[in-house]
Amino acid sequence: MQAMVIEDRATERKVLFKHLYQQAFPLVAKYVRDRGGSFDAAKDIFQDALVIYYEKLATSGVTLQYSERSYILGIVKHLWAKKNKWHSHHIELDDSLAGIAMEETGTSAPEKLLDLLHHSGQRCMELLQAFYYDKLSMSKIAGLFGFSSERSATVQKYKCLEKVRDIVKEKSLTHEDFLA
Amino acid sequence: MRDIQQIDDYLLKYAGEADNGLFEARLILQPALRECLLWQQKTYAIIRQYSRRQLKAEIESVHLHLFTEPEHILFRRKIMAIFSR
Repeated sequence: MQAMVIEDRATERKVLFKHLYQQAFPLVAKYVRDRGGSFDAAKDIFQDALVIYYEKLATSGVTLQYSERSYILGIVKHLWAKKNKWHSHHIELDDSLAGIAMEETGTSAPEKLLDLLHHSGQRCMELLQAFYYDKLSMSKIAGLFGFSSERSATVQKYKCLEKVRDIVKEKSLTHEDFLA
Repeated sequence: MRDIQQIDDYLLKYAGEADNGLFEARLILQPALRECLLWQQKTYAIIRQYSRRQLKAEIESVHLHLFTEPEHILFRRKIMAIFSR
C-alpha cells in the first residue's frame, strides 16, 4: 500500500511531464533550431527547464501570467542566453520568471556517493527528498510513507538526516575525491 | 538528535528571532556545533543533487516513452520535421 502511494506521486509527475512535453517541446525545438541547435541540444535544455519549473512549483507555486508553455519557453530563452554567453538581460523576462536560474548546490558530489546513498538507504533518501526537495508537509509525508503520525514521520526524518550526514562526512573525510 | 533538529530549524529559518540569537551564540562558543552545521549544509546540497538526478531520470523516461511508443508517432514526426528542415 505504502509503495503504491509513493508510486502514485511518481505517476502524477509523469503525467505532468508528459503534458508539458506535448505542450511546450515543439515550441522549444523550433526556438533551438532557429538558433542553430540540434535535437539533442533542444532535449537537454528543455529537460533542464522542466527541472527548474518543477522546483519553482514546489517552492513557491507559480502564478502563471501566461500559459505553461510560454513560461517554459521563457526559462529556455534564459538558459540558452546563459549557455551561449549572451547577456541574459537581452531576454526580457516577466516578473513571474524572476529567479529562475538553476541554483547551483555549492557542493558537487560524485555519482558514486549518490549511488551509495541510493543503495544503502533508498527509503531515507525518498523521505528526505519529499521534505527538502518536493517541499511536502510532514502531515502529507506521514500519509505517503505510512507513519502513524506527523510526529513519528518527523522523528524518522531527523534519523535519516543524521544517517546521511554521517555517511557524507565519513566518505568525505576518508576519500578526498568524494566532495569537490 | 536535538542538535540536528536545532540546526535544521536554524538553516530553514523555522526558529524565532530569540532562538536564532541563542543558537548563534552557541555556534560561536561550540566549534563542534559549527562543524555539524557545515556538514548539514553539505548534506542538504547532496539531497538536492540526488533529488535532481531522480527527477531527471523520471523526465528521461517520459522522453523515451514519447519517442519510442507507437501511440506518439505523430508527436515524434512533428518534432523530427522541425529538425529536418
